[in-house]
Amino acid sequence: MATFRLQGSKVLAVDMTGDAVKAKNGSMVAYDGQMAFKKMTGGGEGIRGMVTRRLTGEQMTMMEVKGQGTCYFADRASEISLVQLHGDKLYVESSNLLCADGGLRTGTTFTGLRGGASGNGLFTTTVEGTGQAAIMSDGTAVVLRVTPQYPLSVDPGAYIAHQGNLRQDLQSGVTFRTFLGEGGGEAFQIRFEGDGVVYVQPSERNTVGGDV
Amino acid sequence: MSTAVIHDPATLPSDDNVNAYTFCVELKGSQWFLQKGKMIAYYGRIDFNGIGHGRLDRLMRTSFHSPLHASDWVVAEGSGKMLLADRAFDVNSFDLDDGNLTIRSGNLLAYQPSLALKQSIVPGFLTLIGTGKFVAASNGPVVFMEPPIRVDPQALVGWADCPSPCHHYDHGYMTGVMGGVRALTGFGGASGEEHQFEFAGAGTVLLQSSEALMPEQPTGAVGAEPGVPGSHGSAVPAGGHGSAPRLPGQLGDLQRRFGL
Repeated sequence: MATFRLQGSKVLAVDMTGDAVKAKNGSMVAYDGQMAFKKMTGGGEGIRGMVTRRLTGEQMTMMEVKGQGTCYFADRASEISLVQLHGDKLYVESSNLLCADGGLRTGTTFTGLRGGASGNGLFTTTVEGTGQAAIMSDGTAVVLRVTPQYPLSVDPGAYIAHQGNLRQDLQSGVTFRTFLGEGGGEAFQIRFEGDGVVYVQPSERNTVGGDV
Repeated sequence: MSTAVIHDPATLPSDDNVNAYTFCVELKGSQWFLQKGKMIAYYGRIDFNGIGHGRLDRLMRTSFHSPLHASDWVVAEGSGKMLLADRAFDVNSFDLDDGNLTIRSGNLLAYQPSLALKQSIVPGFLTLIGTGKFVAASNGPVVFMEPPIRVDPQALVGWADCPSPCHHYDHGYMTGVMGGVRALTGFGGASGEEHQFEFAGAGTVLLQSSEALMPEQPTGAVGAEPGVPGSHGSAVPAGGHGSAPRLPGQLGDLQRRFGL
């Protein structure tokens, strides 16, 4: 199995011994050894995955990297966090997924209403199985644990990924004041309840609800 | 191989940085002012109310004196921990002890209501007066400098105590034929550093280690009163619209352009 390590905080180094990883298309910055790069049509999810991604707008161009040696990945100087999966599922915005072990399955899932407000679309990418994945964030990501006693509210623009058994729903602070231009500035939040961890980035994407 | 630290409400710091880009504020039934959209996540029960909410009237009376920014600020109230961040810029908190500090309006993220926020006489800047904590963002870490000092306008974050911030233009650059041509066209060697802010007297100047500006917060127009800088209401005496200062002995704009 490929081993992931960070070279600084913005470059991911993957040591491979004849195995494969999936990485964001074009994110390789250097390698040593023998590597073969192959674009994965439809993210390697087959015809069905391809159609689903096209339909849901959760587009993701991945490549398969296979070989022997060390391959380095980076994308626009984003900070990288490593995630270890033990048969569980990671939900991540497709634009934030940098690399995943070849043994992990990727797919698309419906996230419910929150996507509409977050501008991330109604769907998100899932990574499932056992192995490592690397996610990117604008600025060092903060990992927050959610327990039944401590639910967490996250700004949709800062959300990047979550893991574990979490229920999410969209919380709205829209009142008549919002329409008078005196809104609270945080009109929409995703509320996570249950058991798991949530990754947030110290920066906000532009969201539909962002200015309300 | 490092795995990121997982934070929960117990391990998050109270009113301190989580990492260079994220600041955690603990609310215990207390209030904080924050700029809209800078909250990225929170635990607990926290309400965000726009300024102008009737219930907040008393707070406004003591801590918020900048009607032009009212639509950009909200009051967070409740109990829990909240994370603040701004476009992955460095954030830091600063304590004021019965002091004053003037800061670029786009750089201020949040402050405690024990401080009073006022609009600075210098357009685009805000002044905080009182005792308490505030959080500011900067591109790269903040550097503290002692006056006398001249700083690049883009690197200036704010200043404390300095009584007379002013503009400084290099003299040689402004005078003579070549000076006029250079000033206008940039031909003949404009280094881009002919204009600085100058600080004198006792105080501290805060600089960011980059010249990337935070987008200016719209400060609106100041009420059109005579004598108020930045108000465009009253007619300004001759030559007031030129961007470069007039040196003694110079005549109108036309002469200056030809370097006469």
